[in-house]
Amino acid sequence: MRLKRVLIAAAAAAGLQMTPVHASELHIGFTLDPLTLDPANHRSRETESVLRTMYNGLVAHGPNMELVPELAESWKWIDPQTMEVKLRSGVKFHSGATMTADDVVYSFTRLLKPGAIGGKTSPRKGLLGPVTDVVKVDEHTVRFVLSAPWPVLPAMLTFQEVVNKDFTEKTGADGMATHEDGTGPYTMTQWRRGDSLVLQRFPGYFGGAPAIPSAGKACAERVIIKIIPENASRVAALLSGDVDIINELPAHDIRTVEANPNTRVAAVNGTRTFFVALNNNRPPFNDVRVRQAANHALNRKLIIDKLLNGRAVALNGVMSPAAFGFNAKLPEYAYDVKQARALLAAAGHPNGIDVTLDADGPQKDTAEAIASLLTQAGIRTKVAVGEGSQVRAKWANGGKREGDMWITSWGNGSLDPTDIFEPTLMTGGRGNSAGYSSKQVDTLLAEGGRETDTAKRAAFYEQAQSIVHADAPWIFLWLPQDLYGTSAKLTGWKPAASGWLNLRDACVH
Amino acid sequence: MRPALLLQRLLHLVPVLLGVTVIVFLMMSLTPGDPAEIMLANQNATPEQVASLRHDMGLDRSLPVRFASFVGNALRGDFGQSLFHRRPVADVIAERLPATIELSAAALIFALLVAIPLGVVAAVHRGGILDRLATVGSLFGVSLPGFWFGILLLLAFAVNLRLLPVSGAIDFAHQPPTVTGFLTIDSLLSGRLDSLGNALAHLLLPAVTLGLPMAAILMRVTRASMLEVLRQDYITFAEAKGLSRARILALHALKNALLPTVTVAAIETGSLLGGNMVVETVFGWPGLGRLVVESIFVRNYPLVQAAVLLYAVTYVLVNFVADLLYTVLNPKVRM
Amino acid sequence: MRRLGNLLPGKLAKLAAAAVLAFVLMAAAAPLLAPHDPAATDLFRRLQPPGWMAEGDWAYPLGCDALGRDILSRIIYGARVSIFIGVVVVLIATAIGIAAGLAAGYLRGWVDRVVSGLIDILLGFPYLIFAVGLMAMMGPGVLNMVMALAYKEWVVPARVVRGETLAARETEYVEAARAMGASSTYIMAREVLPNILSPVIVVASVRIAQVIILEASLSFLGLGVQPPTASWGSMVADGRGYILDAWWVSTFPGLAILLLVLSINVASQAVRDAMDPRFHD
Repeated sequence: MRLKRVLIAAAAAAGLQMTPVHASELHIGFTLDPLTLDPANHRSRETESVLRTMYNGLVAHGPNMELVPELAESWKWIDPQTMEVKLRSGVKFHSGATMTADDVVYSFTRLLKPGAIGGKTSPRKGLLGPVTDVVKVDEHTVRFVLSAPWPVLPAMLTFQEVVNKDFTEKTGADGMATHEDGTGPYTMTQWRRGDSLVLQRFPGYFGGAPAIPSAGKACAERVIIKIIPENASRVAALLSGDVDIINELPAHDIRTVEANPNTRVAAVNGTRTFFVALNNNRPPFNDVRVRQAANHALNRKLIIDKLLNGRAVALNGVMSPAAFGFNAKLPEYAYDVKQARALLAAAGHPNGIDVTLDADGPQKDTAEAIASLLTQAGIRTKVAVGEGSQVRAKWANGGKREGDMWITSWGNGSLDPTDIFEPTLMTGGRGNSAGYSSKQVDTLLAEGGRETDTAKRAAFYEQAQSIVHADAPWIFLWLPQDLYGTSAKLTGWKPAASGWLNLRDACVH
Repeated sequence: MRPALLLQRLLHLVPVLLGVTVIVFLMMSLTPGDPAEIMLANQNATPEQVASLRHDMGLDRSLPVRFASFVGNALRGDFGQSLFHRRPVADVIAERLPATIELSAAALIFALLVAIPLGVVAAVHRGGILDRLATVGSLFGVSLPGFWFGILLLLAFAVNLRLLPVSGAIDFAHQPPTVTGFLTIDSLLSGRLDSLGNALAHLLLPAVTLGLPMAAILMRVTRASMLEVLRQDYITFAEAKGLSRARILALHALKNALLPTVTVAAIETGSLLGGNMVVETVFGWPGLGRLVVESIFVRNYPLVQAAVLLYAVTYVLVNFVADLLYTVLNPKVRM
Repeated sequence: MRRLGNLLPGKLAKLAAAAVLAFVLMAAAAPLLAPHDPAATDLFRRLQPPGWMAEGDWAYPLGCDALGRDILSRIIYGARVSIFIGVVVVLIATAIGIAAGLAAGYLRGWVDRVVSGLIDILLGFPYLIFAVGLMAMMGPGVLNMVMALAYKEWVVPARVVRGETLAARETEYVEAARAMGASSTYIMAREVLPNILSPVIVVASVRIAQVIILEASLSFLGLGVQPPTASWGSMVADGRGYILDAWWVSTFPGLAILLLVLSINVASQAVRDAMDPRFHD
C-alpha cells in the first residue's frame, strides 16, 4: 500500500497523468483507425463511422433508422427508373465553398465511373446497384438514372457521402486519403496514424438533417478519437475517465461498466444478422430434415444469455425486426433435442452425424459453444478456425464450398431486404454461402426488388421469409446489439444502429 | 580499415540481401489466396473484373517476371498498393515507422542501462550475492514470455494502479508540434517537458516489456567480458601502478568489455524487431508491428511483404555496421 | 575462473531438472492427470474464478475460461503442444544442422559456400518475423508450426557443427583416418561427429526453451495451433480480453510457460557447465 502511495506521488510529481480536460472536449475510444479519409475509397464500417463526423450524405438515418433527408431536401420518383433529388441550399464545405449540384454529380460520378479514383474504381460502386448516371437538372436539383427499377435507392444513398469537386480535383486520389473537405459538423485537424484523430467543431456547419431534433451546430468544441484496439484497454480507458465513449464494449464487461458510478452502458439493436450457413448442396445438410434438426438442436437462448449477456435478439429468419418487410409471424425452432434426434433418424442418421463448423478468429468462442450444443444432440461438430478471408473464399459463391457449416453474418445497414435477402438467399447471390436455391423465393425477391408499392413489396418479402424458414438453409441465430460504454458526464448522445458516431449532439460536462 | 576489406564486406552484403528478398517474395507469392479477389471481396465483382485487376496488378505474369519487377519497384521505393488502405504501401508504412523506431530505441536504451551496470557489478563482485541475484534475474529475463508479461504490467500499473496510460503513444493535450515524428525528440525540440513526461509514461511499459529479454542477455555478455578483461595483464599492471579500482574499472575494463556487448546488442536487435509485433499489439502502440499483425489477418500481403523485407534488411544492415565497428574498434582483430 | 553454474546452487539446478521432468510426465500422462476434458465447454461455468476465490469451485482449481473450460486441464494438455513442438523442432533442426554443418565444415568448397550462404541469408531474418511470415503463408496448425520454426532453427546447430568440424578436421586422428584412406562419409560419421556432439547437445537443450517461447508467441498472435487444441500461448491470448474481470484466464497459462522455460534454462545451464567447459559464461 505504501508503495502504491509513493508511486502515485512520484507519478503526480512527474506530471504524468495530469491531463488538463477541456470543458467541451469529447474523448472517444475507438477500435480501429480509419483506413482512409476518402469516403469513396473503402469498404469498412468503422471507417464510415468516423468519416460521417466530417462528411454528410444526401440521405441519413433518423433516431429510429427511418430515412431522413440530409444534404437532400427531398426526393421523388419521376418514374421507376428516375429519381429526382432536391438539394439543400446554403450548405458549406469546411473550406468555405458552397455545395452545389456539381459537387453531388461529381461525387457520384467518382463512385460510378470505372477508374475514376486515381485509375481505380471505387469499391463502393456495387452499393449503387443499377444506378448508371447522375445528372444535374439545375443548381439545386439532380437526377439519378437507373437501368432497372430499384426502389431501395434512397436507403442505399445513406452509404455515400458528398465531396467537394474543386477540392477533390485539386487534391487528387492520394490526397483525399489523408485530407478532407466535407460538410459535416466536425473538421479534421490532426490524424496521428494508428493513434488518434483530432476533430474541431465546424462553425459553418449547416446544422444537419432538420428531421433529427435539435438541429444545429455540434455541442463539443473538439473531439479526440483515440484508437484503442485492445478490448480490455478500451474498457479500462472508459473506467478511468480517459474517454467518454467507447465502441464495441465486450458483453462480459457490461457488469463492470454498470457497477462503476461514472460509466454507463449504451446499446442499440444492430443491423447484422448472424447465422450458420449449412451446405445445402452436400450431404448431410442437403436433407431439409437434417437442417431442421440442427435448428432444433441449438439452444440459442443459452448462448445469447451466457456469451452475449442477453444482448441479442433471437432470429427465425434473415431479417432484423427493425427492417422493412420483417415477418413477425415466423414460428420458432424450439430447442428440442428429442425432436432433433427424431429428425436425424428420419433422415437416415439414427446414430447422428459428424460435421465440421468453419469459423474465423472472432467467432471462435461462439463456434465452440454452438459445436458443443449440437454435439449433445447427435450432430457431432468439430470447429475449424481459419483466417477470415480464407474461410470466406472457401464459402464464396463459385468457391469449392466443400465445408459442412460456416458461422458467419451479413450486415444490413440499409435495413432493406434487397441488401441482405437477395445476396444471401437468392440463387447464385454473392453471399449465398449455403448454396440455397428456391425458385419460389427467387421469384418473390425479384418481384420485391421491382415493386414500388410499399405494402405489396412487404408482402413479397414476408412470404419469402416463410419459405426460407421452412427450408431452413441456415441455423438461424441472432441479431446482436451494438454495445457502447459511455461516461456519466456525457449527454445528448445515443448509439445509432448504423454504427455512425453521430457526434453532433454529444456534450460533456 | 583497408578500403579493399570494406569493399569485400559490402560485396558480401549483396547476395545476402538478394537471398532475403527472394525468400520474402516467395513467401508471399506462394501464399494461397488471390490478392485481386481479396481486394474485390464483398464488392459483387464479376470474374472479368477480377481478371482485369489481376492483370493490372501483374498477377498474370510468370514468377520470375514478377520477381524482377518486384525488385525493380522495391529499389525505387514502390511496394505496390496496400489492399485495404488503397494507398501505396510505402506511404502507409512510413506513417507507422517513427513510432516503432522510437519504441525499439527506448527498449534498446532500457536494456543497455540495465545490463551494463548490472553486468559490471556482477563481474566485480563475482560469486557474491549481487552476482547470484543478477544471474537468476537474467534467467528470468530470457524465460519471460513478453506478451504475457506485458499484459501483467498493463493490468498492474495502468489498469489497477492507474499510474501509467493503458494504450497509445501520447495524450492529445501533451502532443508536441511535429518536427521529426519522434515524440520524445519533438518534445525536447519544442522544450515541452510535459510532452516529454507524457511520451515517456506511454513508452515505459512497452519498452520494458520489449527490452527485458535483451537486457538479460546483454547483462550476461557484459559480465562475461568484464571477467575476461579483469584477468588481463594490463589491469593487473594498472593495479600494481596503484590506480584506484574505480578508475581502472571505468577507464580500462569497461571500455574494453563493452565491445562484445555492443556486438551482441546488434544481433539481439532481431528480437526487438520481432518483439515489436507482440508488444505493439498488447499496448495498442501505433507502430508498424501492430499494423503487420492486423494486415496478416486481412491478408494484406503487399504490406506484410514490404514490412518483412524492411525488417530483414534493417537487421542485416545493423549487423553489418556492428561488424564493421567491431573490426575498427577491436585492436585484436587484424586489419 | 568461476562458472555460472557454480553460481547457481546445485539444489536449484536439481530442482529445475525435476521441474522439467515433471512437465514432461505431466504432458505424457495428461489424460490421467487432467480432471476434465480440456475441450468440454460449459457455459454455466463461464469465467468461473479459481477454487480459492468466493465464487470458485475446487473441482476447477484454476478456474474456467470464457467457454467454461477447465483451465488446469487445458494447461496440462497444453504442455503436450509446447513440449512436442519444442522437442520436435529442435530434433529436426539438429539433424539437419549436423548434416549441413558437417558437410560444410568437412567438405568445404561449394558445399560450404551454399550452406554458409543459406545460413547468412536466414540469419538476415529476425526469428519471429520469419516465422510469422511463414505461418501467414501456410496457415495455422501444429505441422505448419513445426516446419515454420525448423526452417530457420537448423541454422543454429549448423553453425556450431560447422565451426567444430573445421577445428576437428585438422586434428591428428582425422588426419590419420584420412591417411588410411577412409571415405569422407566414414570420417565425418565416425571420427568427427562423436567429438562434436557435446556442444551440439548443449545448444539443443537451450534452444528448446527458445522454441517454446516462439511457439507461444505465434499462438498468442493467432498463428498457432488449431483450436480447440489447448496451447499456452493461445490461452493467454484468449484471456487477454477478460483481464479486467477474470485475470486468471491469462495468468495461469503464462505462468506455465514461464515455469517450463525457466526450468529448462536453469537445467541446461547446469548441463552446459557439466558437459562442456568451453561453454562457460
